[in-house]
Amino acid sequence: MVNVLDIKVLRDLWSMRLQVLSIALLVAAGVAVFVMSLSNYLALVGAMEAHYRNERFADVFASITRAPLVIVDRLREIDGVGIVEPRVAKAVRVIREDTNLPISGRVISLPASGQPLLNRLHLVQGRWPDPLHPEEIIVNAAYAEARAMRTGDTIDVVLNGRLQDFRVVGSALSPEFVFATRAAVPLPDDRNFVVLWASEDAVASAFDMQGAFNDVLMTLAPNASVPHVLEEVDLLLAPYGGTGAYDRSDQPSHRFLKDELAEQETLSMVMPSVFFGIAAFLLNVVIGRMVEAQRGQIASLKALGFRNLTIALHYFKLVSAIALLGTAIGLALGRWFAVGVVGAYRAFFRFPLLEAQLEPWLLVVAMLVSVAAANLAAATAVYRIAMLAPAEAMRPGTPPALRTFGWLQTIGSKQIPLQYVMAARTILGRPLRTLLTTVGIALAIPLVLFGLYWFDAIDHMIDVSFGRIERGDAFITFTEPVSADALYELQAIPGVLKAELQRVVPIRLRAGHRTYRTSVTGLESGSELKIPRDSALQPIAVLSDGIMLSRTIARQLDLDLGDSVTIEVLEGNRTVRDAAVRKISDDILGASVTMERTALNRLMREGDVGNVATLRIDPRQSELLWSSIRLMPKVEGSSVKALWLALFNETIGGMVLVGALILAGFGMLIAIGVVYNSARIALQERAWELASLRIVGLTRREVSAVIFGELAVELIVAVPAGLLIGWYLIELIASARASESFQIPAVIDPSSYAIAALLVIGAAVSSFIAIRRRIDTLDLVAVLKARD
Amino acid sequence: MQVREREATNPATQPQAPVFVARGLTKVYGSGDAQVVALKDVNLDIRQGEFIVLLGPSGSGKSTLLNILGGLDAPTSGTATWRDHELTGAGDDELTTYRREHVGFVFQFYNLIPSLTVEENVRLVAQIASNPMRPAEALELVGLTHRAGHFPSQLSGGEQQRVAVARAIVKRPDILLCDEPTGALDVDTGRLVLAAIAKVNAELSTTTAVITHNSAIAGMADRVLRLSGGRIVKEEPNPKRIRAEDVTW
Ligand SMILES: Nc1ncnc2c1ncn2[C@@H]1O[C@H](COP(=O)(O)OP(=O)(O)OP(=O)(O)O)[C@@H](O)[C@H]1O
Ligand SMILES: [Mg+2]
Repeated sequence: MVNVLDIKVLRDLWSMRLQVLSIALLVAAGVAVFVMSLSNYLALVGAMEAHYRNERFADVFASITRAPLVIVDRLREIDGVGIVEPRVAKAVRVIREDTNLPISGRVISLPASGQPLLNRLHLVQGRWPDPLHPEEIIVNAAYAEARAMRTGDTIDVVLNGRLQDFRVVGSALSPEFVFATRAAVPLPDDRNFVVLWASEDAVASAFDMQGAFNDVLMTLAPNASVPHVLEEVDLLLAPYGGTGAYDRSDQPSHRFLKDELAEQETLSMVMPSVFFGIAAFLLNVVIGRMVEAQRGQIASLKALGFRNLTIALHYFKLVSAIALLGTAIGLALGRWFAVGVVGAYRAFFRFPLLEAQLEPWLLVVAMLVSVAAANLAAATAVYRIAMLAPAEAMRPGTPPALRTFGWLQTIGSKQIPLQYVMAARTILGRPLRTLLTTVGIALAIPLVLFGLYWFDAIDHMIDVSFGRIERGDAFITFTEPVSADALYELQAIPGVLKAELQRVVPIRLRAGHRTYRTSVTGLESGSELKIPRDSALQPIAVLSDGIMLSRTIARQLDLDLGDSVTIEVLEGNRTVRDAAVRKISDDILGASVTMERTALNRLMREGDVGNVATLRIDPRQSELLWSSIRLMPKVEGSSVKALWLALFNETIGGMVLVGALILAGFGMLIAIGVVYNSARIALQERAWELASLRIVGLTRREVSAVIFGELAVELIVAVPAGLLIGWYLIELIASARASESFQIPAVIDPSSYAIAALLVIGAAVSSFIAIRRRIDTLDLVAVLKARD
Repeated sequence: MQVREREATNPATQPQAPVFVARGLTKVYGSGDAQVVALKDVNLDIRQGEFIVLLGPSGSGKSTLLNILGGLDAPTSGTATWRDHELTGAGDDELTTYRREHVGFVFQFYNLIPSLTVEENVRLVAQIASNPMRPAEALELVGLTHRAGHFPSQLSGGEQQRVAVARAIVKRPDILLCDEPTGALDVDTGRLVLAAIAKVNAELSTTTAVITHNSAIAGMADRVLRLSGGRIVKEEPNPKRIRAEDVTW
């Protein structure tokens, strides 16, 4: 025979279906955000690890000017070094008929056997070059995609000053170019940066490197000491123009990836956990009140002789059904969104396989958390009621507290309408419950704010980095330092409104035993196209002596203002010089080291030169302008801000938009869930009272005031409180994790506060309209018959 | 569909025109096998200031009739009017106005508002009435002045019922409808409540209808109506009304 209580479970679920649905959606929102973010993060980490493992990403990297291959054996002998892979890697330029923009790149030699031992290639398309055909070449998949290149296409490459034709036979991914960056230029652009893999013979003969190498990859043996290996390698390679070996943490692609993952960890772990936690708390509040509202029924069941455990089990089933329904919806939604978000990442990070992962443990955690949160609430409520004598619990309509709150009765000489007195007494008479509901509504606001915050943060980052700091429209890099004459030449080109010369030099900073590989930028004093700014966005004047560091670098090197730091130049004369830290800047995008250009020139013992030019250009003349620039000697590559920003908006921007909308939408679902349920339960608890008011002649509007007054007070307190909590949480999350590449600022636009508040108020109003309809249709006669 | 029998209530043809006129009142709950006929073709006239007692077995339709007269329920067919108020077919707003301005209710379960004090429960109605007495005055009529600041849950059942009476009479209602007002009370307390009702009927000339299972109370009435199976089966005028204090059961 079917248990009658089980029938009651089903009937309760059905009769409360709107309420059940709103609670389930609340759970679903929490679960979906949790699952989506974690799947995304796990997908990125998983893709990176698999790529590194499958393609054997090296552990140690070193570049030199030129060394004979016999040195390789000596490298192998170093304690802690595993596999050693020598190669030739050189800067090149690519010429295309369809663009005047200079395209820079790197060519990397492939051993005769094809696949190298380390930093292997993952062929996306085509085949390996035939060693008998030195003109065959593999290009990086990102460039191939951006420039729509196919196998069989030819590509014109300037190697060592000579133009050479190559034929593309394939495109590939490499663990060292997951994120293809160039030093000296802050903006990566797949269309203007290419990586080419050609046969050893072709590269060696073009650069006159037969029997030699200028770049080496190494793995570490298990238990190897990294500092020891780096030191030994440096010692060995120094005579050959070694620029210092470094490990993965200084490898540009990996460094960026690692920072991005750290950022993702914040976004994917902290925020969704906070989100899910809040959802679980709200579930707790809502379920607690729902069970509380069944007080009379629980008491009757007890009076009939049902054991507490049986009653508890009954509610366990009811509440678990709701939580599981929500979890199921949430998993489906989260999975669906994760596929989309991960898809958007593919354009940004180049992995062989990047798929959203729905880890089983995620399912289990999501399910456990929601079922546990729901049941904890139900159990507490059932327990509280079960502890009462049935007779007492059965007595309906016990007022919240037998206190008149006499001061409530009049405002000045005017009496307050009694329906408001009723509302006020409920609020004051049950302060804990009022507080919980208020906190519940308040917490919906940060959830909406979380979503909107991403727009604001990204907006702010772009505005600050590319509107206020990097003010140039385009960058040109040179193969070697050029004099100020080149600047005049540039300025003379029609369409160039302004040009400034920067000197960018790879360096290693050393403070005690700590080191940090980066590059230093020498800015002209009074530079207008790049204006360093402090955290208050005030311009920082370029110093004529000493250096300025990003706070992230200062922290890693444990440096403070006035401290001295050693600068080891990693090119040319390899100068080593101490400098004083004169300023610490708070960069949003990237970490930087800045000096005055002439000071840097002096340090380099060179003339008035630079190797990067920043331009302000007239967009109407850009085609002509680039055709002139391309013909200038020593021009290596270019980067155009507008193009990059457009790309950014397409990829990251789109992703952020979707993510933000999802978060905001879920926040709103939660807001509706909480507000609707509070109002619905308030109605349930007071239906009898309200019907009694209607019978004695109060209008629907007057009666609604009882519920509405309660909700209005809760809203008035909750909305500002929620805005404050949102601000605080975002501040907390933003400051908790600040990586080197990104420091997402805690900027929230006033309009975001307004939108979050309005959405929650809107949720309240629509909930109230739904409740009002129920008030309007209260069955007065039914109320006269029964008291529960 | 409904036949109005206005002529029958023409004031000119009767010495004292009825205020309540009900014709062919029928109330059917449910449909098919589960159908319950609560009222069957009930015709009824009640005069201004009349004290009516409704008697009848459980389920005979007393409450249903009273609720329709009070504007709380609508019949399935038939008409009911109070003076110029059409009670059947009226919208919720009109019925609310009707209850608000003219009707006082007393129910078996008191229906007091738990979160309002005794005085406030009474004032709640006074605040929406056009010509109310002072709440204190109404409480004095039922002898509860000293409990004005208490909440209903701090009162006994009889005291709560007296509050309900005070709440019903504070607006000086034209109609007082009481559904088993003494059902939950002992004899003495029941008398107090009945006395209050009778006093209002007498002093304010309030048209009063009281449902009871206690035929002794019928002695207080001007007229006693007996219901059975949804019909008025017997109508007995009571020329010798007794006072509430003399009711015994
Ligand atoms: N909502 C309803 N659905 C179905 N039947 C109903 C409903 N309300 C009342 N009834 C039926 O209508 C009939 C009349 O009910 P009513 O409440 O008027 O009786 P009553 O005379 O007041 O009885 P009592 O003295 O027990 O209060 C009863 O048979 C009852 O079962
Ligand atoms: Mg009845």
